[in-house]
Amino acid sequence: MNEKDERGTTLIEDNPLVDVAAYLFLEDIADKQGAAGMNTYLMSLASSLAKSMPEEEYSTWEDFLEALRKGESIISSFEVVKTRTENCMITQECPFARGWLEYTQRIGSFSNVHYDVADYYNSNVKPGAINTCCIIHQTFRSAAAERIKVAGKTVKYAQIAAIWSDGVKRIAPDEWLPILLDKAKITKTELNMILRNNTDIFVLYLE
Amino acid sequence: MLDVALVSLIQDMSEKAGVEGTIQYWARVGESLAKRMGKEAYMGWPSFNVALREGRTAFSIEGDVTALTDLAITDSDGDVVGYIYALKECVFVPTILRIRYSVGEVPKADQAVAEEYNSSIRDTAVCNFCVIHQRFREEVSKNITVGDQPLECSQLAARGFTGETKIAEDSLRKIGINPEYVRSLLRNYTCVYAILMRGARLRGEEVEE
Repeated sequence: MNEKDERGTTLIEDNPLVDVAAYLFLEDIADKQGAAGMNTYLMSLASSLAKSMPEEEYSTWEDFLEALRKGESIISSFEVVKTRTENCMITQECPFARGWLEYTQRIGSFSNVHYDVADYYNSNVKPGAINTCCIIHQTFRSAAAERIKVAGKTVKYAQIAAIWSDGVKRIAPDEWLPILLDKAKITKTELNMILRNNTDIFVLYLE
Repeated sequence: MLDVALVSLIQDMSEKAGVEGTIQYWARVGESLAKRMGKEAYMGWPSFNVALREGRTAFSIEGDVTALTDLAITDSDGDVVGYIYALKECVFVPTILRIRYSVGEVPKADQAVAEEYNSSIRDTAVCNFCVIHQRFREEVSKNITVGDQPLECSQLAARGFTGETKIAEDSLRKIGINPEYVRSLLRNYTCVYAILMRGARLRGEEVEE
């Protein structure tokens, strides 16, 4: 189902065939280049997508949050982003979930390579991915945040937790979590509460 | 999001591997998708058409497909060997709209890929994605039987996002359908194709001989 942002406009849903074709294309790349090569490919795919989108500037943090909630920011181009606190952002529906569902319905189990590459990303880049979709998503958000300036400062992004359609969770490592929760201005209990009915929790902040 | 990211790659891929390389990649994706979807068997055309209407066949992944049961394809003996099918919305249109609202413009390579496909393979593509799903349909039909007969798919017509059309007149002649009739179907549908029994001796082919 399409989610609506606060302005009441509806996100345009992608066709699942295009998504499933994209997953198969990525699997083809993995067959040729292995987990490391595919990880590099996914990260460059996400970065180049963010770089192809217009830069943004806002006078105040509140202006930025308003644009984010209304779906006008690059960060909320493909999904509805809600603000739990002024720095804690949550999404209820993963933009990749529909394609994944179509894949599992029409083709079968999601190919293991999607998890193998995520393991590579978690141990070599940042520990936050459940599968290849998370690599694209998180790299995109990070590159997108770099294109946003609020009061002349670049927005920073950090992933706190993600939960996939099958219930698998990936929460930031214990040594990072207190710092991230502090930046997000939520407690660990609140984090677990949010995870019940949301898919992604991340923090956006200025240094 | 994955679809928009993928499209942002077309330009890059086409610059590195050439538009021919992109066509090969896309054709492989179409084949791989069809192979992964497995086999299907139906007692006859009515059961296949019901399965299609209910979204149970591999063809249904493309979206809202209508079996135009008034357009039966017959062989030289007058037996029904297939039907014409029409897709309501091109699978690529939502992606084009999402690109418009996020990135801005569809990469020029989109049309370059379609043009190369039209000149080197078959003059039926209106956008780069036609390469994937036309190949997908060709391959998936090999995995489906109706009354124990394997099928084949033939692309007949497509309408692109900006209104340009491609009509495969040779294929229409073989199945004995007037191109103008198919052109009128494009008012309501974006992609028209025929699914028929492989190797059937068509009336149109007989007339050509």
